[in-house]
Amino acid sequence: MPTVVLMDSSLSMTRPVSQEGSEEFQRKNLAVHGLTMLFEHMATNYKLEFTSLVAFSSLWELMVPFTRDYNTLQEALSNLEDYDKTCLESALHGVSNIVQQEWGSTCPCQVVLVTDGALGIGRGSLRHSLHTLKQRVEDKKFPLPFPFPAKMFIMCIANVEELQSTDAMDNLEQLIGLNGGEGQIFTMEGPLCLKSVQSMFGKLIDQAYTPFYAVLHCGNLASDVQVFPRPEPVLVDEEVDPIPKAVQTDLEIVGFIEIADISSPPVLSRHLVLPIAVNKEVDEVGAGTTEDAEEEPSANQMAGKSPNFCVLLHGSLKVEGMVALVQLGPEWYGMLYSQADSKKKSNLMMSLFEPGPEPLPWLGKISQLGPISDAAENPYGEDDSKSPFPLQPKNKRSYAQNVTVWIKANGLQTDVQKILRNARKLPEKTQTFYKELNRLRKAALAFGFWELLKGVAELLERECTLLPDSAHPDAAFQLSHAAQQLKLASTGDSQYSAFNHNITPLHTDFSGGGAGDRM
Amino acid sequence: MDVSMMFSVSHKTAFVVDHCPYMAESSRQMVECDMLTKSRGQGVIPLAPVSKSLWTCAVECSMEYCRILYDVYPTRKLVHYIVSDSEFHSLNSWRQEDQSTQELMAALASVGPPNPREDPECCSVLHGLVAAVESLCAITQYQHEARRTLMDVADRVANRGRIICLTNAKSDTHVRMLEDCVSETIQEQNKLAAGSDRLMPIQRCELVLVHIYPQGDDTLVSDRSRKELSSVLSSEVHSVRAGRHLASKLNILVQQHFDLASTTITNIPMKEEQHANTSANYDVELLHHRDAHLEFIKSGDLHMAGSTSRDSGLKETVTLKWCTPRTNNVELHYCTGAYRISPVDVNSRPSSCLTNFLLNGRSVLLEQPRKSGSKVISHMLSSHGGEIFLHVLNSTRSTLEDPPSISEGCGGRVTDYRITDFGEFMRENRLTPFSEGVLDASGRTSSERAKAQLERHTRYWPMIISQTTIFNMQAVVPLANLIVKESLSEEDVLTCQKTVFNLVDMERKNDPLPISTVGSRGKGPKRDEQYRIMWNELETLVKAHVGSSERHQRVLECISACRSKPPEEEERKKRGRKREDKEDKAEKNGKDADEKAWPDSERLKGPQEREKEEQTESEMIKDSPDSPEPLNKKPRLMSEEIQPPQKSKGPVSLLTMWTNRITATSRKHEVFAGRLNSVNNKAELYQHLKEDNGMDLHENGKATR
Repeated sequence: MPTVVLMDSSLSMTRPVSQEGSEEFQRKNLAVHGLTMLFEHMATNYKLEFTSLVAFSSLWELMVPFTRDYNTLQEALSNLEDYDKTCLESALHGVSNIVQQEWGSTCPCQVVLVTDGALGIGRGSLRHSLHTLKQRVEDKKFPLPFPFPAKMFIMCIANVEELQSTDAMDNLEQLIGLNGGEGQIFTMEGPLCLKSVQSMFGKLIDQAYTPFYAVLHCGNLASDVQVFPRPEPVLVDEEVDPIPKAVQTDLEIVGFIEIADISSPPVLSRHLVLPIAVNKEVDEVGAGTTEDAEEEPSANQMAGKSPNFCVLLHGSLKVEGMVALVQLGPEWYGMLYSQADSKKKSNLMMSLFEPGPEPLPWLGKISQLGPISDAAENPYGEDDSKSPFPLQPKNKRSYAQNVTVWIKANGLQTDVQKILRNARKLPEKTQTFYKELNRLRKAALAFGFWELLKGVAELLERECTLLPDSAHPDAAFQLSHAAQQLKLASTGDSQYSAFNHNITPLHTDFSGGGAGDRM
Repeated sequence: MDVSMMFSVSHKTAFVVDHCPYMAESSRQMVECDMLTKSRGQGVIPLAPVSKSLWTCAVECSMEYCRILYDVYPTRKLVHYIVSDSEFHSLNSWRQEDQSTQELMAALASVGPPNPREDPECCSVLHGLVAAVESLCAITQYQHEARRTLMDVADRVANRGRIICLTNAKSDTHVRMLEDCVSETIQEQNKLAAGSDRLMPIQRCELVLVHIYPQGDDTLVSDRSRKELSSVLSSEVHSVRAGRHLASKLNILVQQHFDLASTTITNIPMKEEQHANTSANYDVELLHHRDAHLEFIKSGDLHMAGSTSRDSGLKETVTLKWCTPRTNNVELHYCTGAYRISPVDVNSRPSSCLTNFLLNGRSVLLEQPRKSGSKVISHMLSSHGGEIFLHVLNSTRSTLEDPPSISEGCGGRVTDYRITDFGEFMRENRLTPFSEGVLDASGRTSSERAKAQLERHTRYWPMIISQTTIFNMQAVVPLANLIVKESLSEEDVLTCQKTVFNLVDMERKNDPLPISTVGSRGKGPKRDEQYRIMWNELETLVKAHVGSSERHQRVLECISACRSKPPEEEERKKRGRKREDKEDKAEKNGKDADEKAWPDSERLKGPQEREKEEQTESEMIKDSPDSPEPLNKKPRLMSEEIQPPQKSKGPVSLLTMWTNRITATSRKHEVFAGRLNSVNNKAELYQHLKEDNGMDLHENGKATR
């Protein structure tokens, strides 16, 4: 989840902080101090996060494009200059553009706005922006809500009382509201000093930048992992049960599935699963290995050299072309797989499915997936030539079942022509002729289109008269039989117009006719 | 209304189709169905064109609405189809089993076209509308389930619905009469429903009245956009000519009602029907949930993405270009959504060609046409179990790019993971679907059983080759495969016992074991020590399962009874020297026995070759793809050679003699022969330097680099 740090560089940020008996700070110094703390935290605990730095006053400037290089960010931060007045709206437009250009409009982002709460005056002030919210034309809309999912964290280098003495607090709350309530306002407690700014950014870190640690289990095999980016809680059904679902810290593998069977499933998000070393003295592998451990106590100290389940799992998933189905919580699942990047580096990844008992229709309900050893015979076949997946739905879709649609004239014309073409090739095409005839009959009966039945009956009678002398004698019999049956159906007489009744070929003394019995 | 809401208005759709005598009237849209005669020419009188009745038009367009609906939402979006004449006829119910076009077609056939001779006075669409309102109060199985699971907050389960009425109205006043009737019926029914467990009051109802009139007539009813008639009921009126116009109206309505959008796949290469050698490019239009276009909608470049307004101006389609699939290889795409599709023109040749291609298991990537000329793959069409889905692929920069490789992290430097064995483990723990509600004796679902199996299979599972002996031995496989089972048959126990006896036999014959010596100082363990390790490990494996059943217990007992007993440490020290002597004798005897026991071919190979076979075997297992090259490529069995030969204390054991012989003759390790002369395990490098001239040194230096 990339982060944009939006730093207020207006003149009001240079206001000194009144402090007794110590050196004088500007609010900007406090802001820089807080952000330094954030960057240091990310550099050590959250180093895969992409962060960019935008400074704004009446104009905005992208100081550092998205990067994982926290030194660059730190450097840019310490070289920030001071500019004129605060104009948040254009800066937010800037943020919106920067994020969309880099990540598109589906990638969730976090915006950390650092300001002193002096939100400008007159045109361009937040107050003015919010007042004119409803008078915007289409192309001058307020940038919030962002087109991408975003959390907005507002870090105020001011305390609540100060913000509440003006309408700044109200305006900021309105801003969060415009962002769909996604975000939070942080204020400083007590006097404005280094300590209180640290505690404020500490709260932000706790809220938004704590790494997600979990234990990946496969039966008794396990590994401590960090999941990055950390999975955010998902709101499932707004109507009935609006409690957000969070990923459990115990990730349990349920079983394994071939990549071809899981077949590019839709996912909510993707995460790296990074094995981590946790200092605890556990005899991991059992009696057979204790001797080795005794013999070489130094081995455990080097995390890289002690076997890790993630590496084993990753290697086998990659070699076998499989994924592991993993349970993330009650009725919530995901998959683990090996993902290689362009540089041939490869990694264990986890994708989260939509929460629910049946995230993929072609797998069915996950709770109904069981071990193959429970099946009477191996559903994959002895030589892996078969697969129980994908599950077939109860009903076929329209495009898989040769439905009849006559909305366009040519649909009807094609169906009539098919019958006529086969009529001319009787008795060889007896089967197809009756198949097409019955298809047309069924649809005409359903649509109450009796006129068509009469029309086609007439066509068949005419064909009968046009038969060449060389024609097989059976052809004439079949044609007049078919015509007669259609006419009977068009009377609505329940004996002949039953939907499930099929016209069967006339049984004649000629060889061709008998075939129809099989229909 | 958001259809993703569990019980939005689109959960229930009641179709009310007018079956009164006036619906038998011709739509006056003529269909020429005698096309072939034109080419036949002389003397054949073509058949007069046929025309559909208003009824036929209404029925086929409503069926098309249902077809698209069922394609895109096979479940949870329900239709109740009602026809109305002198009374109402309910053609199906809200039950999921009744939701199919075939069912409806069969029911429609039994109703037949309206009878023009029926008394128009007693016929009305009102019967159907009243029935539709009553039906909306009826609870569906989904609502029932939701109420059951939410016991205490059951009232949060919503009841909303839509009535689509296809009729031929007399006037605007007539329309208002119909609306009033629906409104009143809702009030009445809601009162009834409030006191019933089986009924739910309607919270929201959308009435969509479609007035159908023949071509060439002037309409007597005016169009009216949605209007709130009460807090519960809204109504809209569409006045449409029968035929093509009605079809496109209902197509727009199904898109609006179910949040659908249209994508046109362009540039589909297709063989010409007439000329099999040529191929032309075709377009096929598909409908699907509009979220498949979310990226376009949000980024605001819906128009840039090649969308075009069509006929009505109401409908838009996004054009995506077909990319001919190159390979059939299986790949896991990063897909952010998958949506069922329905072709707009299901029977056309281009549509059926595309759908058949996909149903046969091929996937097609779709490219988003961009002005800049850069190629962006944004979607994929793929079928799963006879259903076609439009997958949305992520086409923007990934936030996970350039991650640290797994080989750089924890456990990344370990080279001998049991990758192949774990692959086999994964295949044994693959999943398969079982039928609904299957619980085992202890009430576990299938997936809980899968987890339980994983637990059993991993009770003892060393991750690396050098941590295990038994899993590197073919001879143990039958037992290892069986012991993890939840229950054993008598036959299984027998197989396990045979395995144990076989091991005993091996030990008696003094067969070498693939014992790892990685990390062990000095010479590897002696043969009897090797067997002790093996038996210990086997016991550990079986002990982990001993609680499963009495038969598992018997396998353990068999091992305890048969295995060589580990001597007490104290005793061993005391008897140390003595034992070694005995051992040597035993080993000498053992060797004779060995030689006899091996079949001739085996014996001819000699111990070295046998050793080599083991080497290649053990090397083959070491194939972790991501681990770096092992630092020490030497097979583990050989690593003891690094050590100088032990100064013989007392008699030299046969094993040592054998090892020495291997060391001396092994081709691979000839280079290390110099080490035999090392002092305190420190060998002087380039010993020949003094003897050789400088040139050689130079060349050697280069060559070794």
